Amino acid sequence: MFSKVLIANRGEIACRIARTLAAMGVRSVAVCSEADRGALHTRVADEVRVIGPAEARGSYLDIAAILRAARSSGAQAIHPGYGFLAEQAGFAAAVEDAGLAFIGPTPEQVRAMGDKRAARAIARDAGVPMVPGAEGHDPAELARLAERLGFPVLVKAALGGGGKGMRLVEEPAGLAEALESATRLAQSAFGDGAVYLEKRIVRPRHIEVQVAGDGQGQAVHLFERECSLQRRHQKVVEESPSPAVDAALRERLTTAAVSLARAARYRGVGTVEFLVAPGGEFYFLEMNTRLQVEHPVTEMVTGLDLVRWQLEIAATGRLPLAQAAIHSSGNAIEARVYAEDASRGFLPQAGTAVRVRWPEGPGVRCDAGIASGDGVPVHYDPILAKLIASGRTRAEALERLTEALDAAVVHGVVTNLPFLRALVRARAVVRAEFDTEWIEREFLAGFAAVASAPVPELALAAAALGELMGVPAALAPRAGARRSSVFATLGRWRHPGLA
Amino acid sequence: MTRSEWRDGERVRSVEIEPLGGGRYRVTVDGVAGEWAVERLPGDQLRLTSASSTTVAELTAAGARRFVRLGTMDFVVEREATGRRRGGRAHQGGLESPMPGVVTRVMVAAGETVARGQPLLALEAMKMEHVIRAPRDGRIKSIAARAGEMVNGGVPLVELDEPPA
Repeated sequence: MFSKVLIANRGEIACRIARTLAAMGVRSVAVCSEADRGALHTRVADEVRVIGPAEARGSYLDIAAILRAARSSGAQAIHPGYGFLAEQAGFAAAVEDAGLAFIGPTPEQVRAMGDKRAARAIARDAGVPMVPGAEGHDPAELARLAERLGFPVLVKAALGGGGKGMRLVEEPAGLAEALESATRLAQSAFGDGAVYLEKRIVRPRHIEVQVAGDGQGQAVHLFERECSLQRRHQKVVEESPSPAVDAALRERLTTAAVSLARAARYRGVGTVEFLVAPGGEFYFLEMNTRLQVEHPVTEMVTGLDLVRWQLEIAATGRLPLAQAAIHSSGNAIEARVYAEDASRGFLPQAGTAVRVRWPEGPGVRCDAGIASGDGVPVHYDPILAKLIASGRTRAEALERLTEALDAAVVHGVVTNLPFLRALVRARAVVRAEFDTEWIEREFLAGFAAVASAPVPELALAAAALGELMGVPAALAPRAGARRSSVFATLGRWRHPGLA
Repeated sequence: MTRSEWRDGERVRSVEIEPLGGGRYRVTVDGVAGEWAVERLPGDQLRLTSASSTTVAELTAAGARRFVRLGTMDFVVEREATGRRRGGRAHQGGLESPMPGVVTRVMVAAGETVARGQPLLALEAMKMEHVIRAPRDGRIKSIAARAGEMVNGGVPLVELDEPPA
């Protein structure tokens, strides 16, 4: 096993990786931008290197700066987390060229799966069902292909992922503008403006299978995750198992995912995403060659630590467990806490999270990237934390998540907590009757009406009385020297795999 | 009596407080009065007791904003500076950046006549693109942003005049 690993990321995922490294007795090196000096992820790591300016391009996306930090700290391996460089083949290659281990797939696998057209070819060859789609080289050709597929169609970035830069086109008239906009966004977000078309499946579920491979053709699955609760194609709440998947469908989904991982000789942990139509037909969406944001729900139901799996596969080239030894029990549900104002169009928020309190309790886990007094910079993805709850049944897990969301406090920066609290109480969520479009189709309008209602008189009275009485007292200074107690501030976080 | 104004989304709410002695206050919110016994608790909390109920409010300040937690519900209001008029933020002709971000495109020039709904400029933050559109017909008086520029939230970006007759 490695003795020192550099974490090329920030926020909640960097904190979460550091926790497993600490549990395994591996020293962790955090990197940070100038804007993240003193951030929680730097406090939970054993060492810190400041690698560049606030703009990610000069810090978290700067391969040379990260490799310098790895060399100067003596790290033997780099964990990319998710986002930033996690799915950039050039980074994986540069890490290996520098004589370090990349904790993830091979550069070729990152490149192949990152190019959605190449990924579709691999999946097709592995016998995985595909959403009918089309690739073309210029707008005129794409327009002809779209007519043949039939509207509505989706325009997707070839190098995109997680729905970033995706555009829905209902009618031929909107295609030209969507192609132009998707190409421009793809160029700015992924450095490549290539796009392709896909037939749109109406009212689908998004269900994905967690896989792991040894890089030599062996692969296993760790069951599925239901990720249909999305807003603008961004997942909001995820769970495992999927309430829409029975044993027969689970068998077909996991078999397809494992075939793909085997065919690719996949190394490390990855996720095969599917769209599942109301009739149970499923289609390959994409493969994510990294740890997913929502990996904790899989950890909660399997009792396994996926970061530990990543490290073991990277260090030994072997899978920690055979398929027969991997079991799922009970249910787990996760909600993503973002710094965004759900009452004003989900605008991203930045500032200082003056008061932060994360919940704890039986079956409750919190993966957080901030504690009281921490800054939320404008420069990065606004995810602040994930709250995950498990239970013997889905109802128990959902009830615990609801209580956890109620108990969570983030004051100083506006978050989507009010949105999440309303969402987990919605009847369709309680009954698990939703699809990827349900939030926007049926939930948002009602939520917006509630969210834009006047603040209760009592809250205004309290604010004004507080001002009169000097409550709260002047802003508390940022607590210093918190390193020893920082794990306590993260809240309870335990499951059987992390003993 | 103390009077203060608080911004609640697009509304401005007024609160008047009249101390009655013995920790009791008469509080009038938007003209509706109530009487409360107010007790200071540790951890920036107030216990508010009326004839019919008791509530604990937890208060956090962040600049002019107050985060108020009542039970398991959180609310945000913003202290209006004294003398600031109602509707103060809805500038006559100005269009502000809705969030901190980078201006990615400027689609109009000063002097140009624009129609209601026409895209004026695009802002990108946290991987989201936000297009600022003309709220009405008019003529661009000035543009205070260039493509590639970082701007803060609430900064006026475009000034819109009446359309030419």
